[in-house]
Amino acid sequence: MHALYQFVAGPLAWAAFIVFLGGLLYRLIRLLILVRNREPFISSYMSWRYGLRSIVHWLTPFGTVRWRTMPVLTVVTFVFHLFLLITPIFLLSHIVLWDEAWGLTWWALPDVLADIMCAIVIACCVFFAVRRSTQPEVRFVTDSSDYLILLLTAAPFLTGFVAYHQWTEGAWMTILHMFSGELMLALLPFTRLGHMLLGWLTRAYMGSEFGGVRHARDW
Amino acid sequence: MNRMLFWGMTILSIAVAVCTAFGQEDMELVDNGAFDRPQRPPAIFEHDAHNEMAGLDDCAECHHLYDESGQKLEGESSEDQMCADCHELKDVGSKPGLRKAFHNNCKGCHVAQEKGPIACAQCHVR
Ligand code: HEC
Ligand code: HEC
Ligand code: HEC
Ligand code: HEC
Repeated sequence: MHALYQFVAGPLAWAAFIVFLGGLLYRLIRLLILVRNREPFISSYMSWRYGLRSIVHWLTPFGTVRWRTMPVLTVVTFVFHLFLLITPIFLLSHIVLWDEAWGLTWWALPDVLADIMCAIVIACCVFFAVRRSTQPEVRFVTDSSDYLILLLTAAPFLTGFVAYHQWTEGAWMTILHMFSGELMLALLPFTRLGHMLLGWLTRAYMGSEFGGVRHARDW
Repeated sequence: MNRMLFWGMTILSIAVAVCTAFGQEDMELVDNGAFDRPQRPPAIFEHDAHNEMAGLDDCAECHHLYDESGQKLEGESSEDQMCADCHELKDVGSKPGLRKAFHNNCKGCHVAQEKGPIACAQCHVR
């Protein structure tokens, strides 16, 4: 148990972060090369102004027609992404470990609040899964990989929740928690979770084309 | 007057005896009262049973003393003091803050010896 814990908390964590950052960089470079080779004219109308304008609209809750026509999905989507990022970064348990490893500390969420936020992230994942399997128009464009990335995202939160509440004995749930987080990070660049990075570029491109070429809104 | 003094002294000595009886031998948890708004249940630590099981004879393994220059004083110990008497909540130079002092001491040894709890839930048992 000790050797496994040390391995998952040490070398494997480093490997996961390296694959995560390296993978994102690889995806970015590959995308830029693809654009350059296939559709170099895109760069002639890529615009900071229209790109950012579109991003800002889509980042605003109910700031687009699409967000307004599906209010429930909009709220769930915003809450999900916000808590998905905030909870792990401001989680006391994580800060305790960063502090001990590198002497880095910052403000932490009270555990009670983080616990609720974690439960909300899990509930959002359930919502997305149910929506995928029940709404015909979403089901039509869904395949097993969609459920897989949903599971990949939910797993660190689920295992963290169980470990925190100590529904299991010993260290193995904590080990599973670290492992599932590392798996998510390492696979992120190579699945559609890569929208974490590439989504901004797609949005900027759409914004630029609609703003600069079609002279229309894309929100 | 003398009778009152006698009874007073008797009660006091019984009180002292009871208090010492509830010293480290009966310690089952590490008190977390020094932290403001503790977030976790106090860590389990049956002082004497733990140290016997782990084969720790030297009190200074945990109850250490340092001189002015930060040099550890061999052969001297500080079991008459709480960790919190010296360790503030935040790091001070190379002296770890209270939480880190406990974790580095407890978990540090468990990791080094590959024995004893290392996951949060194994110490902060609900
Ligand atoms: C594995 C580490 C460790 C070792 C070894 C150890 N102690 Fe302790 N001891 C502690 C901790 C932790 C506390 C709690 C201190 C605190 O809360 O600040 C404590 C508390 C005490 C207290 C105070 C008890 C109370 O209830 O206030 C006494 C007395 C004590 N230890 C004596 C000893 C003696 C004597 C030895 C050597 C035979 C010893 N300890 C060895 C960790 C240790
Ligand atoms: C009499 C004051 C004093 C007491 C009591 C004390 N410490 Fe310390 N401790 C220090 C000082 C001073 C340092 C920093 C030494 C340096 O500057 O490197 C230190 C360093 C440490 C360190 C880091 C260095 C190392 O030895 O690994 C740990 C961990 C630690 N203390 C844990 C504890 C724990 C746990 C207790 C209670 C059982 C405790 N200390 C009680 C004064 C104290
Ligand atoms: C110098 C080494 C050392 C230090 C310091 C130390 N431990 Fe341990 N601890 C051990 C060893 C070795 C074991 C495993 C004993 C075994 O299983 O044979 C152990 C076991 C334990 C256990 C499991 C006991 C059981 O019943 O199985 C707990 C809980 C524990 N330690 C808590 C603590 C806490 C809390 C501290 C800090 C206040 C601490 N330890 C400091 C060496 C240490
Ligand atoms: C080997 C035992 C041990 C392990 C493992 C351990 N702790 Fe602790 N921790 C302690 C002790 C002893 C204290 C001192 C006060 C107490 O009893 O809570 C402490 C104090 C704390 C405190 C400050 C007091 C509070 O409740 O706010 C926090 C926060 C904390 N630990 C979180 C964690 C987290 C998160 C983990 C896992 C990453 C962890 N601990 C793993 C023994 C341990």
